[in-house]
Amino acid sequence: MSQSAHDATSQTAPFRRPASEVMHLDRIGCSHPTRLSFLRSMLRRLHRENWKVDRPVWEVDATGSGHAVYRTRCGDRTYSLVAFAHDLPEDMRSDRVIATAWDATFTLFDGEPTQADIVRLRDNVPLQEAGRITTRELTLARANRSVRLFHHVVGALSQGLQPDPAEIADIGYLMRTTAVYGSGKFGAADRSDIADRPELAAPFQVEMLTVWLIRAFTVDIVEHMAVVQGGDRAVRLDRDLRRSLGVGNSTGLGMAPFIVRHPVLLNNWMIAREEALARVRAQSGATQPAVAGLRVALDAAIENARVWTSQHPLQVPKLAALRDDLRMLSDTVDTWDFGQPLPWDALWRWSVDVLSLEGQEALLSIMLEPHGDLVDDLADCMSADEAPSFRIDGAMCVRDLRTILKQNYSWALSIDFTTPENIARFWYVSEEKLEPRLGERATEEGATLEQPLCIARLVAELDETLQERDEDEPVAAVLLAHPEHRYVMRRVQIAQNHPFAEVQDNLISADMLPIDLLRCKLSFFGATRFDPRSDRWVRINLFQGAPFPDEIEQGYLP
Amino acid sequence: MTIAPHDQTRGDSTPYIEDGLSASLSRNEVASLCMKAARGAGMSWGLAEEAGFAAAWLVQHGINGPSHLYAHLDQAQGRPWGDLCPTVSPGAWEAPAGRALCPIALGATLCDYAELPEGIKARSSLEIGKVDHPVLLIPFLAVIAASNDLLIDIVWTGGMVTLDGRSDTLMHAAHALAGQQVPITLTARSGKPQAATPGKVPKISAEIIAALNTLAMRTTVPSSESSRAGAGSTTTDND
Repeated sequence: MSQSAHDATSQTAPFRRPASEVMHLDRIGCSHPTRLSFLRSMLRRLHRENWKVDRPVWEVDATGSGHAVYRTRCGDRTYSLVAFAHDLPEDMRSDRVIATAWDATFTLFDGEPTQADIVRLRDNVPLQEAGRITTRELTLARANRSVRLFHHVVGALSQGLQPDPAEIADIGYLMRTTAVYGSGKFGAADRSDIADRPELAAPFQVEMLTVWLIRAFTVDIVEHMAVVQGGDRAVRLDRDLRRSLGVGNSTGLGMAPFIVRHPVLLNNWMIAREEALARVRAQSGATQPAVAGLRVALDAAIENARVWTSQHPLQVPKLAALRDDLRMLSDTVDTWDFGQPLPWDALWRWSVDVLSLEGQEALLSIMLEPHGDLVDDLADCMSADEAPSFRIDGAMCVRDLRTILKQNYSWALSIDFTTPENIARFWYVSEEKLEPRLGERATEEGATLEQPLCIARLVAELDETLQERDEDEPVAAVLLAHPEHRYVMRRVQIAQNHPFAEVQDNLISADMLPIDLLRCKLSFFGATRFDPRSDRWVRINLFQGAPFPDEIEQGYLP
Repeated sequence: MTIAPHDQTRGDSTPYIEDGLSASLSRNEVASLCMKAARGAGMSWGLAEEAGFAAAWLVQHGINGPSHLYAHLDQAQGRPWGDLCPTVSPGAWEAPAGRALCPIALGATLCDYAELPEGIKARSSLEIGKVDHPVLLIPFLAVIAASNDLLIDIVWTGGMVTLDGRSDTLMHAAHALAGQQVPITLTARSGKPQAATPGKVPKISAEIIAALNTLAMRTTVPSSESSRAGAGSTTTDND
């Protein structure tokens, strides 16, 4: 799979960006969602395959406690979101992964749950990490209210009024999910047990389906509470206002190591996106609908940048640069000569000379938008079977391994790991919650328990060992003498055929920003409104502007 | 809503346990728990990944990998690498004098050498010194057999099994090789093993899960106020 996006179309090769240009923290930390993002490809499939969504169970009482079932049917399969609504005291509301209670808890059930399943799930799902689910369940998730917007919307609807659009725009969601667990966590079905289902083959599809159905629940629960408060006076939420609501998400350091731990997957995500850009750039001309589509996408991006707010000192200047870039881009597109040879490539080259990284990466997303026919098939190349790359090729000789190091890891070998600022941090797992954290090497305990996430330094250590070894020696012999290099040896061999497998920066340096790793991953999910709250945790929005279950058939797609 | 005091992400294994005695773990949980436990017991990260792979492979095929792995880790933890790893030469691999080989290190090394003259080849035998818990070798041999089209016999004093991919042979091999510490010989011939079929998911005992958890927790760092501070919101989320 890994190379399919690249190999199939070699005429795009001259238009591809090299990994050395793409895979740096400052650039991946400017990633924007694209039409290849996982929530977008899921919505396209739902529409294309005419999935049916209904809500056969709604048993929620006047306190807002109870449960509901959202059922999605495709072909002969059914997936059901089982939602538990709770009446949570305010002093227990925390988005931290260390929280122990939530406004609502969820699981995506594989099939249609029986009453016995509901009873079993009610005993476990509300406890989240302290409960246990089974292979019949695909995800486990929870969400907390945005108290301010939730109260405002319930209050307005209960009095027969629509909520203030400015309030809705300001927050953008009624509830925030915190963790959405899948892939065998807490007893759930293993990814490999469901990965051969076409509708779940792409990455994170059960997680995206879970969040999309949670979004429907968040509106149903406010409409329910409005009826509880206002009785006959209550009205339903206006459908345009409703569509502008997404699901919030708080994400912290726990997610950051994922793209480091899954090099083949990261490679496949990146290569698909980069190939999509190359395909657009490689076109010899521009059709009128594509140019019109570009304008629509650009206007949407300008509007998105206008309403995208953040108070964080890291994000404020980036947003300002993005707005400036989009203004410049807008003026340029208005007068752009789309009749010139390779007009898309010329526009791209212009952006590289003129725009900030934020603007360039935004343009990537905008340029893909009117080219669905050209690029959407690449969404099928973004999953990864990681098992085949687990085995090390022990017969490879040291000379060949060193060639890979020279070709793929010169960025790592150029880092001086003897200076304090280049080893300022260490990644570890907290005893308290088994979640990844980042420590300061000079002042915090625990560096002896460092996690192997700074690939650059591991590569440098391997290189040092290899300098002492015979060039003709097989790497199997090196590993026999140096078992400590087995972990990084696997990666280096993976990198040989997966050029986008590595984030090409020092992940333990003093100035490294974990939120750059988060933004990269979240953009592939399809997240918008990236709003850092520190250098290591963010709030985002998912599915804002997307259709609701009762709109998916109408063909309205974001 | 009542909140149970226990939590799987806080190193408490209580929630795993369905009836106070045992639990079914997903393969992801097995691989993750066993990898961390192996690391906690002193393996390098890369070898610990191999331990996770082996335990998950066994579970997928109906064999209690975590239990076998724990038995080995409990015995081998703290022993230096030089006491666990084989001396490799064509036709004969040896354990350090008076010692038994670590099945994870041996299995991984057999895979590393599969394409080299010292590795397992069709129409030849490889004598191997004493091996701890040789049941843990099976996943590695199965990988070599499948990728190199080999039928591999494991021979030891008093027994022999052929890894042909059949479930009943596999269960027999696992049963015979569990808890042993024996010298073995591997003999290979050309042939295509059947694709191994998944077995009934074994229940893992509460004691084993707790013991692996204890080893896994050795890879973690006690939290400090400063580390907790930056990881997420420090104020109320009632906004």
